[in-house]
Parts: sequence; C-alpha cells; structure tokens
Amino acid sequence: MTENHRPAASVAPADPSDVVELFLQAARRHPERAAIIHNEQELSYARLEGLVRGIAGRLGPDCGTVGVLTARSADTIAAFLGVLAAGGAYCPIDPAFPAERKEALVRAAGCRSVIAPDAAEVPLGLPALRLAEPHPTGLPHAPATPWPAVDPEDPAYVLFTSGSTGAPKPVATPRRAIAAAVDSLAGLLDIAPADRVLQFASLNWDTCFEEILPALTRGASLVIDDDAYSASFPRFLRMIERRRVTVLDLPTAFWHEFVNHLTEDRAALPGTVRTVVIGGEAARPARLADWRAVPGADRVRLVNTYGCTETTLVTHAIDLHGPLAVGDTSPTATPAAIPIGHALPHVREHIGEDGELLIGGPSLALGYRGLPQITGERFRAFDQPDVRGWYFRTGDRVRREADGALVHEGRLDDELKIRGIRVSPGEAEAQMCGHPDVAAAVATGTVVGDHTALVGYVLPRPHADPATLAAAVLRHLRERSPRHLVPTRITVVPELPHTASGKVDRARTHQLYAIRNEFKEASRAR
Amino acid sequence: MPADRIVDGIIDIFRRVLETDGVHADSDFFETGGDSLLATRVLSAIVRDHGTELTIAEFIESPTPSTLAKRIESVTR
Repeated sequence: MTENHRPAASVAPADPSDVVELFLQAARRHPERAAIIHNEQELSYARLEGLVRGIAGRLGPDCGTVGVLTARSADTIAAFLGVLAAGGAYCPIDPAFPAERKEALVRAAGCRSVIAPDAAEVPLGLPALRLAEPHPTGLPHAPATPWPAVDPEDPAYVLFTSGSTGAPKPVATPRRAIAAAVDSLAGLLDIAPADRVLQFASLNWDTCFEEILPALTRGASLVIDDDAYSASFPRFLRMIERRRVTVLDLPTAFWHEFVNHLTEDRAALPGTVRTVVIGGEAARPARLADWRAVPGADRVRLVNTYGCTETTLVTHAIDLHGPLAVGDTSPTATPAAIPIGHALPHVREHIGEDGELLIGGPSLALGYRGLPQITGERFRAFDQPDVRGWYFRTGDRVRREADGALVHEGRLDDELKIRGIRVSPGEAEAQMCGHPDVAAAVATGTVVGDHTALVGYVLPRPHADPATLAAAVLRHLRERSPRHLVPTRITVVPELPHTASGKVDRARTHQLYAIRNEFKEASRAR
Repeated sequence: MPADRIVDGIIDIFRRVLETDGVHADSDFFETGGDSLLATRVLSAIVRDHGTELTIAEFIESPTPSTLAKRIESVTR
C-alpha cells in the first residue's frame, strides 16, 4: 500500500505468528472441535478451514482490499479469515448503512471486490464473490495449496474511525499489528480449547476481533446466539448457561446495564463464566461496587481494557475484580476513578506533554489510507534515549497511579465515545447540516442513565418551520447516516453561542438548552 | 391487570428510564431520547412488573406505552 508513510516496525526475534497460520494449526490439532456455535448449528474447525480455503482460493493471490457485507454468521467470519488467507485486506461494510455511505466507505478503503450474500446489492457495482446461501458449507473446497506469501507489513484490515471534517478516516492495520495484539490478548485472557467465547461485538468494528481471533487461534469455540442481542437480560443469562459461555467481552456501557439488572434482580452470574472483559469507555465506580456484591463475581475475572483502532485492539488492561485483582476489592473499597491499566507486553507507552498517552510498538497501524497529512499529525517519530521510533498520539489524557496503572483523565479534543464508538462532533454536525433547513448544528455528549448519548442542537434557516424541524432532521439522518452518528435527541434552538475565538461553543450550547428536570437529580444521587 | 393500568405502568417506566415527565400513552420511546441501552432497562422493568419477556425487536415494533401494553396483554392472555 502506498499510504504507508512510515518505515516498517523493527522486527523483534520472537515475532508472534500470523493469525491465519495459528488458526490452521488449531484446525490441525482439533479438526472435530466446534469452531463456531451459531444458535443450534455447530461448525467444526475442519469445516471452517474448508470454508476459509474455499474463499481464499476463489479470491486468488492478488485480491487487494476486499469489502465484506457483514452478517452475524459463520459466513462473515469465514470471509474475514479467507481474505486474510488470500493475503488480502478485509474491509467490513454494514449492510444497514445507507447506500451513499457504503459507496463512500468502499471508495475510501480502495476495495477491488466485495464478498456478499447472494441477493445483496454490491456498492459501486464492484465484482462480487457470492456466498452460497443458505448453507455455508456448500462452497467448493480449494486444494490445500501453498498460501500466497504474506508480508507482516501488508494490511490485514481497513476500518473507519470518525473524522472531524465529516468524512470517515480509513485506518489500515498491518498483519504484524494483529499478530502482536492477539498474542498478548490471548495470553492475558489465557484462552484455551475448552473456552467458549461469546461473539457479541458488531462485526463492523474492531472489537469483534478481540473475540474472534483469540478464540480461533487457540482452538476455542466462538458462540453466536440470537438471544445475546435481544436486549433482554433474562434471555442473555439463559443463553450463557445454555451455551456454557466462559468468556464475555462487553462494551462498558452494556456491562453497566448488565450490572444494574443483576443487582436489581439479585441474580447470580452463571457458573460457566470465568472472565468478563469490558472496554470502550470509562467504567463507573458505582457499577464496579455493585458488581463486587453480585453473587459469583468473586470467582470471575473482570478485566478492564483500553485501546484504539490505530493501535490495534487492546493496549492496556487491568483486573478490576476476581481472582487476579490486586488490592482491596471489597464493594466499599471502590476507587474514585477506575484505571485503564498497564501496557500489554507488546506495547511501548510514553506520556507526552499535556499528559497525552502515546503508543508505540508493533501494533501500530500503517496510518490513514490516502490521508498523509492527518497521518503525519497523529503518527510521530521520536528519537530520544528512552522514546524511539513511531508513536501514535491517542488524544487521551492519562495519569499514572502509584502502582503504575494508568487512569484516563479525559480528551485533548472534543471526541466522544458513544457506546464504545469514537464520534467526532464535527462529523455528526456535518451530517445534521446536510438537511436543507439547517443553518448550523452542534453535537455533543450527555449522560443518560449510565452512558454517554449523542445530542444535537440545530439552528433553523429563516424559512424553516421550527416546530417540525427536529423530527425532520432525525428522519433525514436515519435514512443517510450510520446509527452512531444519529443523535438520540435533537433540539431546535434560536441561536448558537460562540467562543471568544468565534467558534461555536459546544459546551455552552448544551448548558443553555439541555432539557432539565428533577428526575435527573434524583437518579444521579443513586 | 386492566389494560389502562398496564399503559399507566409503562408510562411510569418510560418516565423513570428517560428521566422526563413528557411521556404519554402514544410517546415513541426512540423519539423521546430512548436508545438501545435504555431499552434494556424498560425490558427488565417489564419482566419485573408484568412477567413478560420482550426482545428489542418487539420493542422497536411497539415503541409506545399503548402498543407495548397491547403486546403484553396478548402474551399474558
């Protein structure tokens, strides 16, 4: 890829193996073991390997970046591994995205072909590889030919992160970054063939690889179950027991609600669960205190994680509760701020001026595809005695605790985390301004329940009807924007306050117009 | 439970979860500041109060107190 603006990371002697190689080794060791359990259907490692080889064979050795219209299915996971096995780069595309957005993503990622279910429309009319439906095992098995030679510096996937200008930024992640991060993470979580790891994260964001790759490189089973995504905790708990799930990786905002449910129902954690991983935003001390009182929580590892797309999956982690947690973990001993933890073995960290966390090491992405200037702003070369090589500026301010763990103290910019997904207010504002009756817009975060929600404020154009504009803009966004850029609430305002430098003041706007009432204060006090 | 008592109960749940008084029988949860995480609270409260387990898909199809009450009635009848 020409967008690699930095030299290759230095290659350490004990570089971890490519994830495809590890998957094939696991398949050779446990061909009959279930790789994927999707509702009632089990797909063995041997069958999954057949699917992966079939897709890789059909893609050929020079497939470049391949778009994949995702679904929560073994097919999509086989497509991901198949693209990697063919030496290509995987680019997930949410089929629910509006057509315009899908086309923009495919174009920005440089996809040359798309893997799609039979009936699905392919963005930009690119060449399509159709997956046989509905039976995923119907693909022809390619002979066990040698795989194309892969370079650890080749991109393995292209994912998008929010850009302040309104356009999404494609992050290209090389194979060595994934190998390093998965090796560390599988070690941290001690994933073994007996494990059953829930596949909970959306297949369109990188968190899903934290579930898929540690499981499938270590011979464990990945569980996909409709009851996991029903938003019904009674169903969620029964699903865990039915499928004997041992490892859960949950967005912190969802875990908060899980804790609320367990606490209010005085329910216990299912006995099969041994590890719960959380991440995506700051964990709330009150929910950790509640968790520590849940029956069964003492024998379960609760692991808080931190990482960015640009630094691949997880870079920092800490056991907050359970057998490996250090210090006083009684419900009354909850700290005021919950740490994001210590750097994993593959990570180099440096705290820069302003307390900004900088990350170096083999898990760094190649940069933003086609955006050399923005890449140059965020990826910096250092040549100091103890800080050498390339580092990514996370934009997160941190401080170090006495025990060495890092605590997140906020952002250096206005970026928000909405249900674990990074949202640049500028991008959400640009989407709202796409409505013809909107003169200007502000997007910001507000706390509802135990999470941050995106709220919008719009200034109408002179001819617009302020009474119907909020609903009209919401409708407009739902048809055109991905879900994480659609505010949960839009308020029409008569004017927008400006800062001394003439920029729209987001914080002041929210202060002036946020809906207030006594319920808020009551629930905060809990 | 009579139908309007179920509706009132759900209005109460919506008010608590959405932290606003501005909820009536025909308020759409997802148009009144509700999202998928707050929806889990509504679904848990409905299990506690009415013993009915609904999914997010059913909630999205019946997003108001009056339509949710009809669904609960049809399940419990």
